[in-house]
Amino acid sequence: MTETSPLVRLSGVRKRYGGVRALQGASLTAASGEVHGLLGPNGSGKSTLGKVLAGSVRPDAATIEIDGEPVRIGSPRAAARLGIAAVYQQLSLIPDLSVEDNLVLGQEPGRAGFLSRREARRRARPVLERLAPALGEVHAEQPVRELAPGQQQLIEIGKALLRQPRILLLDEATASLHRDQVAVVFEITRELRDAGACILFVSHRLDEITDLCDRATILRSGETVAATAVAGIEPDEIVRLMVGDVQAVERDHGARPTGPVRLAVRGLVGGALRGVDLEARAGEIVGLGGLQGQGQSELLLALFGATSSTGEVAIDGDPVRLASPRSAAARGIALVPGDRGSQGTLPPRPIQENLTITSLRARSRAGLLSGARERAAAQSMVEALAIKIGELGDPVSSLSGGNAQKVVFGKWLLTEPVVVLLDDPTKGVDVGAKAEIYRIIRRLADAGATVIINSSEDRELVTVCDRVLVMFEGAIHAELVGDEITEERLVQAALRIGEGAQRRSGAEEAA
Amino acid sequence: MTETKAAPTRERAPITARIARVRVASWATAALLVVAVVLAIALQPSLLSPYGIASTFATFLPLVLVAVAQAVVVIGGGLDLSAGAIVALSSVVAVQVMQGSDDRALLGFAVAIGTGLACGLVNGLIVSRLRLQPLIATFATASVFSGLALLVLPTPGGTVPAVLTGTFRQAVAGVPVSVLLVVAVALGWLVVRQLRIMRHIRATGGGPAAAFASLVPVAGAQLASYAFSGIVCGLAGLAVLGNAGSGDPFIGGDLALNSVAAVVIGGVALRGGIGSPIGAIAGAITLALASTILFAIGLPTSWRALASGLVVILALALSALGAPRRQR
Repeated sequence: MTETSPLVRLSGVRKRYGGVRALQGASLTAASGEVHGLLGPNGSGKSTLGKVLAGSVRPDAATIEIDGEPVRIGSPRAAARLGIAAVYQQLSLIPDLSVEDNLVLGQEPGRAGFLSRREARRRARPVLERLAPALGEVHAEQPVRELAPGQQQLIEIGKALLRQPRILLLDEATASLHRDQVAVVFEITRELRDAGACILFVSHRLDEITDLCDRATILRSGETVAATAVAGIEPDEIVRLMVGDVQAVERDHGARPTGPVRLAVRGLVGGALRGVDLEARAGEIVGLGGLQGQGQSELLLALFGATSSTGEVAIDGDPVRLASPRSAAARGIALVPGDRGSQGTLPPRPIQENLTITSLRARSRAGLLSGARERAAAQSMVEALAIKIGELGDPVSSLSGGNAQKVVFGKWLLTEPVVVLLDDPTKGVDVGAKAEIYRIIRRLADAGATVIINSSEDRELVTVCDRVLVMFEGAIHAELVGDEITEERLVQAALRIGEGAQRRSGAEEAA
Repeated sequence: MTETKAAPTRERAPITARIARVRVASWATAALLVVAVVLAIALQPSLLSPYGIASTFATFLPLVLVAVAQAVVVIGGGLDLSAGAIVALSSVVAVQVMQGSDDRALLGFAVAIGTGLACGLVNGLIVSRLRLQPLIATFATASVFSGLALLVLPTPGGTVPAVLTGTFRQAVAGVPVSVLLVVAVALGWLVVRQLRIMRHIRATGGGPAAAFASLVPVAGAQLASYAFSGIVCGLAGLAVLGNAGSGDPFIGGDLALNSVAAVVIGGVALRGGIGSPIGAIAGAITLALASTILFAIGLPTSWRALASGLVVILALALSALGAPRRQR
């Protein structure tokens, strides 16, 4: 490869989402004729950085240069004018339009405002032919809705190829693809590179990064910590860069719980889940680790009966049918979602009503609510969890994030659950409230409940968990117990470095 | 892009596959239409007389047009509850401009379409730029347009140029003009749907976020769908005039809600992205025939509203049975 001037240069990129700093001065430099990897642990901002370049995230501050020229990229259309195309795991296909119509969507050829079907076909054909070895039997006229997820992902890639981009962002674009399909995409990517394009590649599969990328930029907590050539770099070195110098996290737990097995799950399949087995004891806090989107949330939702799944689930040895959240709650399962606004609370309703809504049945007589009993129950939770409120009658929307989240905890604690599922329970909560929530979680476990917690922060898992199950592509891939739980070990396990690195997951073999 | 000969992708699906892909919803729509036609003719054979056909189609035409307009908006992910009010406003404005004079018929034509377009642009700007819910936005503008119609023509009246009413009653080569116009609407759609903007409207309704990410001008597509709806409603206003012979500020009445019902019977999904105005035309005719049938079986007037409501529910349930299930 010849030395070329950088095609893409981003620097000082900052982006906040509410209280969360996604990017704080990140930078990226990539040349034409190179495949450039973006690496970082959960929440490091690698996807956000890509989206800033692709025009789908507007940064709070950024300097962007393309070919040495400063540019502003305010929308995907502006990015397209600069020759930038992006492919995400999140598809942008219209399910009811045909393969061909989707391929040319947004750049339909035609004259005087009318579509030219023949010209559209002429343009779509080479892309479909190039993808054919990976696509299999697909008709250009077939609605995209009929294709398998992997095929849809390939059409999404085809859409970007049709634009003949100078800069192509592939953000987890291979996540839903089979190994053979990935190989075809890699072939195409290398052809593009050799033709002088710059490809930015984000993947959770470290072996794909080392296989495909020439150089890589490593991010941590929204900052760029290194830019390095990929050839010859040791996986452990990559992990060290991703995790950084970790201060020891104060782990808040005592002896390993030895209570009876409370929750037993065998062969849970459905949606993103490809066969989950787990056992958790009474009084145990079990974390779900791994890279984001490996089925952690789906597992919790399935256990709560909110999504359909098949498999054996037992509580205290009794089999449970997970038909709906109501039946799960009846068996003592509670879910505290991370998305307070849409799932956890009714923001405009009073705090008291929010606290008691899940346990109304226990507090009503012949269908009539007792104001006094309801009030007493709500008040007990406000005191137990130290929720800072004005009046019980104030709306939940008047509370801070941390206190609103405590309301969500409170409403489920009132149902006296035996299994508590926590889905990223401290998302967007400040540090002080976090510590209090950790104490609540520990108290729950000490009182004999089984806690399963998914977190987008590895540090949180290190702090609160007795045991962490690391998920990869819908299955549990590694287990860390007690002092094994460190941020470094979590990242290694998530990236399948070490013992698991060479072993393909069972699901992939089966696919 | 290198050429690869391996496993060439077939471009044209086998005919059997294409038939299999025809939505059951359109079969349900067709079946309902056939049942309605057969029942109506059986109950009222005079419908088949040349005069019967001409006058029936003349009464259908406004709803057919508004259904096409509504279909385009709904496919684009919106809803136009002001369609009836636009019909009323453009018709009374046209009546006042034409003053019964044949010389001004062409001007009246342009004014009706222009009024419709203006109303549609107002709706489109409110929905696409101010991002108000289409349901609320067009509910409010319906009130505004109806109010304007009352200001333009406070009570039913005025005269429509003879050339307009006359043409409406004529026949070309034995085929009534009203029938030709309904056919023309369908054929016109076949041309219009080839417009790039129609593809963008469909994509916007099928997935606004995906369309935006695919560089489809989403706001422009929304605006265009309402503008198109306005123009077609303006045409419907002219059809109302040709049929009635005078202006009526209250003519909008049930048109908007009937058009929504027609669109759904016609297999257009209210969530957007799916369906075709051709189905909506069939839906409109089915709906109009349903009231003909209820009239023909001599149902007392006091029962008619209740019965036609039940017919709509039945028809909607049947089309819903055939509609594709949403994936979980």
